[in-house]
Amino acid sequence: MKRTLNINIGNSIIHIEEDAYELLRAYLNEIKSHFAKGADDFEIVTDIENRIAEMFREILFTQQKQAISIEDVSMIIAQMGTVRDFESMETEDEGAASFEAPVIKRLYRDTENGMVAGVCAGLGHFLNIEDRWIRLAFLILIFFGGAGFLAYLVMWIIVPRAATRSEKMYMKGEPVNLQGFIRNFQEEVENNELVKRSGGFIREMVDLLGKFLAGSGRVIFKVFSGFIIFCAAMMLLSIVVLLAAFLGVFDANASEYFPFNMVDANYLPILMIACFVTIAVPLLALILLTVRAAFNGRPIHRSVSFGLLIIWLVGISTGIFYIAKVSAEFKEEAEFTQETTIKSYPVYTLEMDNSRFFSKEDSIKYHIQMDREKGRVILQDYDGAFNEPRNVRIHIERSLGDKISVTQNYSAQGKNFETALKNAQNITYGFVQQDSLLRFSPKLHLNKPSNWRDQEVEVTVKVPVGTKLNLHEDLDRYLSQYGSWSCNQEDDVDHEYTAWEMTAEGLKCAHEIKTGVPHQ
Amino acid sequence: MIAENTQTQMRKGILEYCVLLIISRGEIYASDIIAELKSAKLLVVEGTLYPLLTRLKNNGLLSYNWVESTSGPPRKYYELTDVGRGMVQQLDTTWQELSYAIETSKKTK
Repeated sequence: MKRTLNINIGNSIIHIEEDAYELLRAYLNEIKSHFAKGADDFEIVTDIENRIAEMFREILFTQQKQAISIEDVSMIIAQMGTVRDFESMETEDEGAASFEAPVIKRLYRDTENGMVAGVCAGLGHFLNIEDRWIRLAFLILIFFGGAGFLAYLVMWIIVPRAATRSEKMYMKGEPVNLQGFIRNFQEEVENNELVKRSGGFIREMVDLLGKFLAGSGRVIFKVFSGFIIFCAAMMLLSIVVLLAAFLGVFDANASEYFPFNMVDANYLPILMIACFVTIAVPLLALILLTVRAAFNGRPIHRSVSFGLLIIWLVGISTGIFYIAKVSAEFKEEAEFTQETTIKSYPVYTLEMDNSRFFSKEDSIKYHIQMDREKGRVILQDYDGAFNEPRNVRIHIERSLGDKISVTQNYSAQGKNFETALKNAQNITYGFVQQDSLLRFSPKLHLNKPSNWRDQEVEVTVKVPVGTKLNLHEDLDRYLSQYGSWSCNQEDDVDHEYTAWEMTAEGLKCAHEIKTGVPHQ
Repeated sequence: MIAENTQTQMRKGILEYCVLLIISRGEIYASDIIAELKSAKLLVVEGTLYPLLTRLKNNGLLSYNWVESTSGPPRKYYELTDVGRGMVQQLDTTWQELSYAIETSKKTK
């Protein structure tokens, strides 16, 4: 395929191929510059042009062609004679005509000899250096913060591609005249080079990428596909293990832990399987597709893919159904408050009670013999606080009168107000006063085992102005407004307790009140 | 090189004479002149004819008319002027003299 141009020569419109046009233009330019001395020379050139047009028409007519090719133009030039032939007939101005135009070199990208976009090959022509040294220089420059890469990219965009014959000749520094043209043309015919045509930077880039993928990129693609298959297979395996674990195959009671304790134990397995299917089917499909794309595997049978799709749809719809059902259980919220008045002391110490009663289940769970211990066994238990939503909050507020009180606000959710209230009433919260020591339980307990319904206890301690409080650092996690971190002593020693005092503006660090440093 | 130069000089003079002779037979188109010169094996390349025709025209030996063509634009048809015809007669004489000179030169050799 070649592009053709329309030219008007000797009052005829002629279709001419692009390379043929360039050759013709060079030829006519040479003739024009040769016949540019006398007043009649315009006439001579016109005569010659007319004759060429006539020969073109003859060629087109006799050969039944649509366009003039470069071979036709070469033939016509041979018939018409070059300027040198004219000169030999005009001996009188022989001396004056031997004027050699200086060779002009221009920078183009040589895409025919280039490795990537021909920048290096083009620079090689321009600087008269072998292109491999320029490539080496660019490679070395890449290690200087990618400068070589950037420079290459910029030159790729800025420097034009040597597309036409004359551009290629300018690039190589060949004289762009008729002899040069013919020589270049013959060289090309000998080398049987194909004239590559492409449109701009993006197109070249895509072509190159395609070539790269088709060649060495194929290997990388396979490696990458293998990696994807491996990852997907591992994920599939891990969710199979997870499902097995949750369904109790590995003796782990998932329904005790958040967020699985949200779901009623009766339909937890179904929801689990639904979720599993929802994740597993796309993973399986990804593996099958990647295997097929990268390793030319057999196409997936239609019934298999169809079956997978149906299984996935069933899985996701079951999942959505149960998730909607569970969400409905959280529709209404109910709460009730219980207030306890406590004995007045000038200084209180607030602590968390990390001990709990050793139950029968615990003895089985931890393999501890009950009868060896007398009565109460203290267990440190930090479990719940991390994997459950915080369900105990403690506030410290200023009371209006002199009364000191502890308010416990129980709240929970349910599908209607009644169940929500029932859920809230199911909560027991342990709070103990031992003289001036107030001990709070770190978690609430449910009287009857039930699902997680956002059961919460808000404990509000109200003390009058002037009351001093010593807060244990364990309280930090439960207090939303204050914390020992904002009340550090200057001596940088880790104190278990920080001293606070209730003021008219609220609770303040005792240390700050003393020194007058404003509270941050 | 010297031989070449002499050949060119000879051919150049004779070409001019032949062109005038061909045109003297009547109105003629440039392409036809070329065809005749080719069959006479005198013309090397066509391009040399056009400067020659223009020069002869400027010297008043030739004139041309634009004649409509059935295929393509109008063509230039050349014919001799009176001066041209006089010139041909002169050249005829010169040519006879020259061929006599050559014949005699060859014989004496």
